[in-house]
Amino acid sequence: MTKKKLFPVLLALFALAPLAPAQEEGGGAEGAAESGEGSSDDEKDAKYFAIVGGDVYTGTGAVLRGATVLARNGKIAEIGYDVHVPAGAETVDAAGLRVYPGLIALGATSRITTGSLSVPADPTRPHEPISMRWDGVLPMPVVNPTHIETGEDDDHEEHAPTQSEGDEEGDGPKSEIEDTFDPFSSYLVLSLATGITTVQQSSAAVKLKRGEIEGVLLADKRMVSIPWDLNNPTGISGTRKKLERTAEYLRELRAWKARNKKDEREPSKKGVDTSSLRVLSGEALPLFRASNREELLGIARLAQQYGFRPVIEGCEEGWAVADELGRAGAYAILTPRNRLAKDESLVRAGGASIENAAKLHAAGVQVAVRAQSTSIDTVGTAGRDLLALPIEAGFAVRGGLSNEAALAAMTIVPARLLGIEHRTGTLEVGKDCDAIVTDGDVLHYRTFVQYSVVDGKLVYDKEKEIYFAHIRPRPKKAEPEAAQPAEKAESAGDETEEPAEDAAEEGEASEGEDGPKDEGGEKQDG
Amino acid sequence: MTPTWLTGLLLLAPQAGDLVAIRVKRAETGAGAPIEHALILVEHGKIVEIGEDLPVERGIRVIEREDWIATPGLISAHTRVGLERTQSRGFDPAVTPRSEIDPRQDAWRELLELGVTTLGLYPDGQGIPGQAVVVRPHGDTLEEMLVEDSAYLKIYLQANASSKKTLREAFQKANEHVEKVAKEKEKWDKEQEKKKKSSKSSSKDEKSEEKKDGAALQDGEEKKDDKPAEKGGDVFVPPAPDERVKPFLDLRAKELMAMMSLRKAADYVHLLDVIEKEKDLQWFVHFPLYDDCDFYEVAARIGEAKKLVLTMPEVTLQQNALRERNIPAELLKAGARVALLPRTDTLNGYRDWLPDVGRLVALGLPRDAALAAVTLEQARALGLEQRTGSLEKGKEADLVLWSGDPLEPSSRVMAVMLDGKFVHGDVQ
Repeated sequence: MTKKKLFPVLLALFALAPLAPAQEEGGGAEGAAESGEGSSDDEKDAKYFAIVGGDVYTGTGAVLRGATVLARNGKIAEIGYDVHVPAGAETVDAAGLRVYPGLIALGATSRITTGSLSVPADPTRPHEPISMRWDGVLPMPVVNPTHIETGEDDDHEEHAPTQSEGDEEGDGPKSEIEDTFDPFSSYLVLSLATGITTVQQSSAAVKLKRGEIEGVLLADKRMVSIPWDLNNPTGISGTRKKLERTAEYLRELRAWKARNKKDEREPSKKGVDTSSLRVLSGEALPLFRASNREELLGIARLAQQYGFRPVIEGCEEGWAVADELGRAGAYAILTPRNRLAKDESLVRAGGASIENAAKLHAAGVQVAVRAQSTSIDTVGTAGRDLLALPIEAGFAVRGGLSNEAALAAMTIVPARLLGIEHRTGTLEVGKDCDAIVTDGDVLHYRTFVQYSVVDGKLVYDKEKEIYFAHIRPRPKKAEPEAAQPAEKAESAGDETEEPAEDAAEEGEASEGEDGPKDEGGEKQDG
Repeated sequence: MTPTWLTGLLLLAPQAGDLVAIRVKRAETGAGAPIEHALILVEHGKIVEIGEDLPVERGIRVIEREDWIATPGLISAHTRVGLERTQSRGFDPAVTPRSEIDPRQDAWRELLELGVTTLGLYPDGQGIPGQAVVVRPHGDTLEEMLVEDSAYLKIYLQANASSKKTLREAFQKANEHVEKVAKEKEKWDKEQEKKKKSSKSSSKDEKSEEKKDGAALQDGEEKKDDKPAEKGGDVFVPPAPDERVKPFLDLRAKELMAMMSLRKAADYVHLLDVIEKEKDLQWFVHFPLYDDCDFYEVAARIGEAKKLVLTMPEVTLQQNALRERNIPAELLKAGARVALLPRTDTLNGYRDWLPDVGRLVALGLPRDAALAAVTLEQARALGLEQRTGSLEKGKEADLVLWSGDPLEPSSRVMAVMLDGKFVHGDVQ
């Protein structure tokens, strides 16, 4: 039944493709078409999950009002109006609500992913000091919240890839997160309550799966730290030297391969460091921490010289050199509320600006937003921690960034930085169904996440968790924000659950949605 | 109550030398509903009959204690009370705390007077510190005390890479041993064939043997063990496993149980991740409770798997909330078996043990289950559920007579019977 049904839908999606700004999207849809055709054998075992009737902000530029997102075995199978939801599918009624891709938090302290419990020693042995725990590791290591840990020490890194290859026939690097992930951590639930479905933990991209540990590691070691600090000139010259030597090696290697002479020895790797090698061979993105314009200009020039795309964390004075950074194809990881005083001894523009994100974005820099503190704490830095990620992005909007770009700064751009843009970051057919359902604009301070979905499973329901259920409780039949459309919808009849406003806008589509849904059900029965 | 019982009694009556009957107000059997006005008939250390208001043949000694309550002897399956604190060990699965047991310790007497009749003593340490032994807190020598030499293998498993690796590698070593045995067998078979074909010169034989040694040259000690087996001739004797590997072979052969000591819900999920391929493993969970612990998160899964959980009579607070969680009750409701250990592993802990359990009963834990949690379920953890742990026909006569409800703090232990003999209390 589905093959015939699938094709029109997929065609429709291809028709939508021009809406998508980036080129990868088309590829994603194609991939989905293939998988959709190939997997019809295990149709019976397929698990469906549908988010029905919400305003779907796909993150690719398209907004589908009153549309349905259907996931099949954790992957998005269909997005649109003419979506047949199979019987037995778990559904979330998103009428009057908004559907966004799950947010991605750059940086998260280990308490989010490996549990908040400072697990005591065996209480049946009262005299056991906690340091006597058998692994000798104390729980909850304190992580400097202002620093992205990429874990890229040169020595460490040299060993890591070979190890993983030995382990599992080289199907990817391994982080220890799969062995330490706590799928019950209350901070994980709080992250989901914020709409965060993926976090960066040390060097790894970790999906916040709840209650299960399989497949939490999405990618690892995609960024490498490169020292670049004007206060440390030796670090800068060291970086230059390493890059130069590595580039030379790569040239020699290419030439050697081109010559293809058997008796000739492979060029010497002496003086080549793994970080530079990975950056220059395109395996990893170089991560710089820089805030003032001289540093930023230096990075931009370096990037153009060696042909890589730099990731610049901080980037407070980026607005002053936005064009240069844009030409260098830079990514910027911003914390819009960070402040930096202008160096008053200089005439030229400097210091932090509320317009930073907007200007960088306008110049073509891909902007990601990072929370001020990457931990979650119920005391202390409230309003600045991971729970305030959307608010942080909201400050960039205040400075002129578009809502779309601000959403991208929490979704697809971080996904690209972490090397997981093929899995998550937007709502597209074929990607993982990581979505959030909110009762308003995700960038608005008043908005609550009502549902979070990870891999096509409902993992957070505001009403069912102890944290926020009591604040503006969800009315019986949702639509807390749009009361009027809801009334109209009621008067329109029982069959349609769409707000009448939307139904008028998308007249055909909305009809089409309700029609086939029922018919499909009957057909199945008969 | 039934005629068959009566005939049974009559038959037993003539050889009544060892026979003793105890009549109490109530027997809390630890297995099912309590028996009012219970009569317990004991012979040769076993309970031969138990029932309500049973008539007793004349000539049998009857101990009438109409205001006392009988329970099975209390069992603690996981304790180190009475043992000295020793050097911590990391990975030593063959070790037992046998050598640490001092029969002259006062603690045994005190435990017995608190109604504890069986103890599972575990070796101190971290990681996989060794196997527990079962003792009675009564006897002048270690042999008299000892019931069982290896009850379970204690394994701490935590959600971290090193802990998971330790356990994975242990099973990996067991696999390697199995492979090695298979190889040895193959070689031995070939050799036998050769021998059959011709009675050949000894020099050739030696050569083949040398080759074999080269292949098996992994472990110096094991090589020595193998040699006599190969020379042995007609019957293939597999090489003996390393003593640190053997417990894991025993686990797979269901000759040994594993106790998985966990600290948080995530540990359970990671444990399943490690042992998912070990289908034959018999294991139960040890989970101490403390505030903020999140074990309720996996209560449903444990209940579904019908696992036994050794935990504590404690009501704890939910993480990040001042919400009380009765985790033992939640586990029980979900379908798990629950055993409750004293909250602290000291003599004081044992004094508060039953009152703590009583508090949990007041908060909603079913009373029968609570009593089983300190007797029968504990016996299950020690693999002794067929022998002791409840007042049932055919089981060992380990019983405690209380002045009142055993779950009331005011009740005292009046007498303790161990293997059919009163070892504490003034009962004549």
